[in-house]
Amino acid sequence: MSEEAKAPESTQPAEEAAPALIELLPVRQSIGIQLENERLRPVEIERPRALYRSLLPGVLQVPADYVLAAARKSSLWPMTFGLACCAIEMIATYMSHYDLDRFGIVPWASPRQCDVMIVAGTVTKKMAPAVKLLYQQMPNPKWVIAMGACATNGGPYTRYDRVLQGVDKIVPVDIYVPGCPPRPEALMDGFIALQNKIMEERSRTG
Amino acid sequence: MAVEHEFETIDLNVNIGPQHPATHGVFRMVMTIDGELVVDVVPHIGYLHRGAEKLSENLDYRQAIGIQDRTDYLGGFNCELCYVQAVEKLAGLTPPERAEYIRVILAEFNRITSHFMFLGAFGTDLGIFGTAFTYAFREREYIQDLFEEVSGDRMMYAYFRPGGLAWDVPDNFKDRVRWLTKQAMVGFGDLDKLLTDNEIFIARTRDIGKISAEDAIDYGMTGPMLRASGVKYDLRKDEPYSIYDRFDFDVPVGRHGDCYDRYLVRLEEVRQSVRIIEQAVEQMPDSGPFLPEKMPRALRPAPGEVYMRCENPRGEYGIYLIARGQTQPYRLRIRSACFCNLGALRKMTVGHYIADAVTILGSTDIVLGEVDR
Amino acid sequence: MSPEDRRREVKEAAIVPPPPGSVADLFQEALPDVEFTATQGVLDVILIIGRDDAPPVLEAAKNHPKLAFDFLRNLSGVDYEDAGMEVVYHLFSYKHRHNVTVRAKMPADDLHIKTATGLWAAADWHEREAAEMFGITFDGHPNPVPLLLPEDMLDHHPLRKDNPLAPLEVWQGTMLGPEMARAGYIPPGSGFEVQAEEEGEE
Repeated sequence: MSEEAKAPESTQPAEEAAPALIELLPVRQSIGIQLENERLRPVEIERPRALYRSLLPGVLQVPADYVLAAARKSSLWPMTFGLACCAIEMIATYMSHYDLDRFGIVPWASPRQCDVMIVAGTVTKKMAPAVKLLYQQMPNPKWVIAMGACATNGGPYTRYDRVLQGVDKIVPVDIYVPGCPPRPEALMDGFIALQNKIMEERSRTG
Repeated sequence: MAVEHEFETIDLNVNIGPQHPATHGVFRMVMTIDGELVVDVVPHIGYLHRGAEKLSENLDYRQAIGIQDRTDYLGGFNCELCYVQAVEKLAGLTPPERAEYIRVILAEFNRITSHFMFLGAFGTDLGIFGTAFTYAFREREYIQDLFEEVSGDRMMYAYFRPGGLAWDVPDNFKDRVRWLTKQAMVGFGDLDKLLTDNEIFIARTRDIGKISAEDAIDYGMTGPMLRASGVKYDLRKDEPYSIYDRFDFDVPVGRHGDCYDRYLVRLEEVRQSVRIIEQAVEQMPDSGPFLPEKMPRALRPAPGEVYMRCENPRGEYGIYLIARGQTQPYRLRIRSACFCNLGALRKMTVGHYIADAVTILGSTDIVLGEVDR
Repeated sequence: MSPEDRRREVKEAAIVPPPPGSVADLFQEALPDVEFTATQGVLDVILIIGRDDAPPVLEAAKNHPKLAFDFLRNLSGVDYEDAGMEVVYHLFSYKHRHNVTVRAKMPADDLHIKTATGLWAAADWHEREAAEMFGITFDGHPNPVPLLLPEDMLDHHPLRKDNPLAPLEVWQGTMLGPEMARAGYIPPGSGFEVQAEEEGEE
């Protein structure tokens, strides 16, 4: 997938020698195009492997998976990553009327100590490198919730060419919550769906 | 401000990046600091530039109302009101009385919710993480229930139309409004008691971020920021639009131009908004049309241009609309209050400490959807 | 609506002379040798001037005691396609409480105008935005870097009329199939147009 995000490298149809020649001529691509491609390249997805998977025999991994998944889903700490209008509904979900703290969900600002990143709002191309950096700073296991129409596929702003059509172009997304903005109950539904997903995928997480 | 050094130091460049709990959205500041003192600050915006102006040129006049909601998402009804009035002035439509009163009531409620959000976020910026927000959002939820009953959505209403409203309000609207004005003041009293006479709060906001009246006018600042510096100018009183000239309310003006005055001005504006709503709900006709009789199917305003300005909770929100006889605007320029207020950030912040920079940014009450459009 | 339809239906607003004693007369008094067209808009008086007259007019607007426009409300660029571009200034005076709109026209092939940052500090950010959205150069601007847009592709100005918004199923920086490539708008000079032709042939 990362090769597709780079600009094409040949003018002559289907010639193997041409790419090498064009690569030696950087003047064909302006600095703006290079920056754009760098911005839109998706993040590398790591496949981590937890230590207990190599140490414990298979039969002990089953209850270990269950306990770890139950612990992780009951204490999801999202990173406060409100970008636009959806951030206000996200904050409203944390507050007293639709409390999220009863699920163990505590908003936390630092990405180094978070489990889940709620991308709430429109991701523009200028913001894309910051989103990728924050995703890479989160420790494993991590999940992403795309909240709202803008994070799902660009939303009402999808036709503008400075807007990324969905955050799943740069980071892998687990749950999509539709709405513009989604109601607080919808976001809670998304969190519960994420908890179910964590439980179901417990044997596959690293 | 020269500081004596016993040993060699260099100024540090600190990036308060697009993701930060105190930046109210995706806003980036690059500060040059000498110890804790801010020597220079360069704001970088554009992380939420979504092309509202370009998209509006390809949308019908009625479809573009949805874009206006999302520009200043905390004061959606005020932005809609400004845009809808600009279209009405070009198309020569006069909204009926009942529609005007309902629009004013909803716009003032939106001002109250926006100021509650400011009070909550300002307290959070200063370190009261949680308490101020929970008080503020408790009242916001009650008012948002009214918005949902009337328009169907809690935040992105798209309820105003050129000429009036999309549909009529429910039957118990007046009783709900009367109950809500009392309920809002309850929570407001809580926030007032928490912050206004709080010694730590005053120590952290008095004499911070001062800007004089001449500088504020030069930088194009409007709204509570300008009134806190001593300039008595409120678009609802001085260039009245809609039916604001029928109501009797005061305009709070500060004296020093610091963060504490801006907080007090916004606090007082909530009380004045409640006054306006109480008068409007008494004067409002009990029944009537919500759109004029001769409402054209396809809205094609006469060719011309208008710069319609309204008093947003953040300042002057202007819509410069150029129509050239088609069903879509030719040019829709949004003059947002926060864009101009933020231009003066450097002037207000240099010479203070880093912690004060956060306070000053909080008192500017920016909404990045408006700054970047 | 295709660009041709849009151009066919365009109508201009009529010039309505403003009532006597308005701001236009004050401007005429302050600058007797500058010629401008004054029209009464819906809310304010509009003055239409040429690009070279803009510096003296704005300076008189700020400094002349009877005009005293100390508040630059708004500065926007407008693209009128073949008729050129305009920079529109909306001004307000706190002293005399009057408004005016000043439209400075410039031809389409020569897009530059003197900056207003010397007069109003508010013009700084407005001009940076107009420059990157339309490609207008503001001579003498202290910090002419892009404000809202991320990259240095200064040949691609979003708000110009010859940059139409692409249809909904548009190419935006990722590879799409041949039918999508034909539907979309591909910025010139991006290098992707070649790929689209290639895929279309296949």
